[in-house]
Amino acid sequence: MPLELHDENASLIGVVTVDEVEQLVGWLRSSQRPRVSLRRCNHLHTGALQALLLFRPKISAAPKDAFLAAQVLPLLTGAGGDTSRQGNEPP
Amino acid sequence: MNPLLAQFLAEANDLLASVDDGLLQLERNPGDPELVNEVFRAAHTFKGSSGLFDFPELTRLTHAAEDLLDAVRGGRLALDSGMADDLLAAFDLIRGWLAHVTAHERLPATAGQDAAGLITKLRAPLGGETVATDQGQEPSAVRRIDPPPEWLAPLGTEWLIETAAWLSTTASTLRFVRYLPDQDCFFRAEDPLHLVRQVPGLDRMTVIRPEQWPPREEYDEYACLLSFVVATRASTGELEYLFRYVPDQISIVELDGAAINRHLEGEEAEDLETVPAAAPDALHVDARLAADARAVLTAAHRTLAVGEPTGTQLLALIGSVTSAALALGVPLDLTGADREAVNAAVEGVLGRAPIEPAATPPAVDHPVLAALAAPPAATPAGAPADLPAARADDPGGQVGTRVLKVDQEKVDRLMELVGELNVAKNGLTFLAAAAEEEFGSRALSRRIKDQYSGMHRIAEELQAAVMDVRMLPLSVAFGRFPRLVRDLSRRLGKTIELVTEGDDTMADKDVIEALGDPLVHLVRNSLDHGIETSDERIAAGKPGTARLTLAAVADGDAVLVEVSDDGRGVDPMRVKRKAYEKGLISEEELESLSDTEAVDLVFRAGFSTADQISDLSGRGVGMDAVRASVEKLGGTVTMRSELGSGTVTRLRLPLSMAVTQVMVVSVAGQRFGVPVDLVVETVRVPAAEMGRVLHQDVVVMRGEVVPVIDLARALQMPWAPDDSRDRAVLIVSVNGQRVGLLVEQFHREVDVILKPMEGLLAYADEFSGTALLGDGLVLLVLNLKEVLGLAARAA
Amino acid sequence: MTRVLVVDDAATVRLYHTSLLQEAGFEVAEAANGLEAVEAAMTTPFDLFVVDVNMPKMNGYACVETLRSETVGTAAPVLMISTEDRPGDADRAYQAGANLYMVKPVDAERLVRVATMLTSGKGPAA
Repeated sequence: MPLELHDENASLIGVVTVDEVEQLVGWLRSSQRPRVSLRRCNHLHTGALQALLLFRPKISAAPKDAFLAAQVLPLLTGAGGDTSRQGNEPP
Repeated sequence: MNPLLAQFLAEANDLLASVDDGLLQLERNPGDPELVNEVFRAAHTFKGSSGLFDFPELTRLTHAAEDLLDAVRGGRLALDSGMADDLLAAFDLIRGWLAHVTAHERLPATAGQDAAGLITKLRAPLGGETVATDQGQEPSAVRRIDPPPEWLAPLGTEWLIETAAWLSTTASTLRFVRYLPDQDCFFRAEDPLHLVRQVPGLDRMTVIRPEQWPPREEYDEYACLLSFVVATRASTGELEYLFRYVPDQISIVELDGAAINRHLEGEEAEDLETVPAAAPDALHVDARLAADARAVLTAAHRTLAVGEPTGTQLLALIGSVTSAALALGVPLDLTGADREAVNAAVEGVLGRAPIEPAATPPAVDHPVLAALAAPPAATPAGAPADLPAARADDPGGQVGTRVLKVDQEKVDRLMELVGELNVAKNGLTFLAAAAEEEFGSRALSRRIKDQYSGMHRIAEELQAAVMDVRMLPLSVAFGRFPRLVRDLSRRLGKTIELVTEGDDTMADKDVIEALGDPLVHLVRNSLDHGIETSDERIAAGKPGTARLTLAAVADGDAVLVEVSDDGRGVDPMRVKRKAYEKGLISEEELESLSDTEAVDLVFRAGFSTADQISDLSGRGVGMDAVRASVEKLGGTVTMRSELGSGTVTRLRLPLSMAVTQVMVVSVAGQRFGVPVDLVVETVRVPAAEMGRVLHQDVVVMRGEVVPVIDLARALQMPWAPDDSRDRAVLIVSVNGQRVGLLVEQFHREVDVILKPMEGLLAYADEFSGTALLGDGLVLLVLNLKEVLGLAARAA
Repeated sequence: MTRVLVVDDAATVRLYHTSLLQEAGFEVAEAANGLEAVEAAMTTPFDLFVVDVNMPKMNGYACVETLRSETVGTAAPVLMISTEDRPGDADRAYQAGANLYMVKPVDAERLVRVATMLTSGKGPAA
């Protein structure tokens, strides 16, 4: 299963496809202080990335996947993460 | 040549050596993190330094090598011999390029082509990132540089400044892609992020979020709101192919450093207008300086977001912020400011809205500024206990000793001068003799002799010091063998372990250099003929892996170098038969030669035991060439072998060959030098005591009959001994045989710097070289082996 | 005279930075690794440090941390210049105490411009 969802913790595993996006968003909406582990995630669908960017859960574990670690993780944890402001602030 | 390039070439040489060495060691100890790190660092340094020159192919190739090594270093890949081959090949190619650079100060025209295949190979284990059939290799006239689009901004000013500098320096370009996916693309099973991650040669990706996110309750997770800006080294063609299903959603531009700078300057000009009005000069500030100042401020902003600078760090931060703000025309007084105040000032100057401090809450006022008021006590040297100590076994660990790299030619020049000093010094002895003989002043003669001995001592010390500089460890000569043995053993299908011993034994650089070829020949011979295949070895009850040892040890003023293997050994019977078949020995010798003498036959000219010539040793050069070149150095070579268990070849070479002591003799008024090493003694024999045996003059010394050769006759000089005087005979030892040389007169011994024969005399084998004497005359130094040969032919 | 310490294990890069800064009128000393730099800084005050990241014995981060620690205690500006351009590298430099992180090779004019800006406190003389 690409998603392992608990009360406040979730793990994204393997390839997260568009089919998992709805479930992920539902969980992000309902969770008070969501924490997401990307450790075993190899790819996440743009829809999932978009949801993480909007709901900004705390990333509890960095992905092992090189592309996600180098290019995507900074978007989710970096200072450019202020959602209220700059749509075009460099990450 | 520009000094920077000269420095790069010198450094590159060292780096190449350490890469080669490291890779070979790594193959043996694939897990050794220290080794991986060393090789990685060398490749890394290479890449970094190569970027300073217009060598984009070199940068690309070392970059590919570095990425591969980085993966090995990070444990993501295990180095196998295929990868090691590719890495070695890459650095071999670089070595060739650098030779070209040395001569022409640019890379060969074929560099891009030559590198392309290797880069693909090096990248293959990393997931085969296809290398752009690069625009960078097209003539620049063809290259199309687009005007910079506005949408570059999300990549970040700092990154753009750095990238522009890099592209300008390397005269290369990058492709930039903006990808604006349709809102409903998810329904068409598109995944824009997946497409982006497939971009080859991805340099930077940035995701652009919507200006305004919808409220969370109304968020539609199936509407794509993100877009992307990507910088890549991939070619436009590759990008068009990758994005072929969404051509209307992408824009691709190709930009060089100048184009990016145009973008930055445009942007900066706009941004500067947002600088507070307190800066009336702002618009006159140089755009590039402004960009730098903003970069420093951005760095300060980032520092405050990711860390909690205190103490000197905060003080330094305040300093850099003040300087940068001032460069933008905004004077700031941040004396005594805390982090929050600095942050606010930075944001003010950058024209940003203050942001919520990062997750870390602002600490309660630190007493840092008070602490700063007092200058930090300088800790006495040696005290820092928190410095990581250099590893004790790190040979480079002696911090502080400066190693001076000196051009070899300078050392040679110094040696020459020492030689001339010796010659000038020797001139004093002539002067002393003249003082006594011509001017009759024994007192003056003695004083000159005293001066001479003082100078002699200093000259000797100076010579020793220079000789010491010229000393190199044998590891220099051994260095090429790990690679050679590895490559050859693989080609021959033999498993061989190379062991070197005494690598740190020192010898003169000329000896080390001259040792190269004979050693290569001996090692190849061992690999080719001596060592059996694993199957043969196992059948013979030996371990499958053969052992080849290179060992060096100092022995007085000589150095012994041994090449030994545990191979099949030399069969003395077979050698004798072969030598007999080739007419090298007589039938009688075939019977009488001992095994040791038989083994020595392999050094005879025209001898080769291999029934079929392999491609390794090649044809025509045999062990006789090894012996000849070693003897030319004033050394000897011997071989011991035991059938079935191995062969040892031992070279004995002088530690130094720069200065030779010669005994001066004369015949027919002409002086000649004889190397003192060969002289046994000088004797005067009454003419009547000279004997004659079988047409050969002889002298009997202590019961031994020693043949005497007339040097004048051998050299075809008109001179006959005066029967009324005693004969002057110089007893020498050549090839273990005592021979007398009949000469006219003995002179003294002198130290000379032997120079090889040049010009017309270059083919006169009877002389081994020339030397300048103190009185300005040129001394011919005899090659006694040849002289004896001449005498034998003349007889 | 403004004194700069150039710290890099790559002799070519060191020469490049040194000669650029010398031409611009700075007095330049060199160190081949972090440890040498720290030793130099303990005995001589410098007005600016130009520090490489990847070096043997003591890397750039540790070097800058030590320069900022009580061991040396210098508040002089530090430029870190690295071949690495990975996310997080700049942050590490800033956490260690660097004031600007740049990626090699640094444009000649830019290096001089930044060095001048950070050491004069007044921006370039012109």
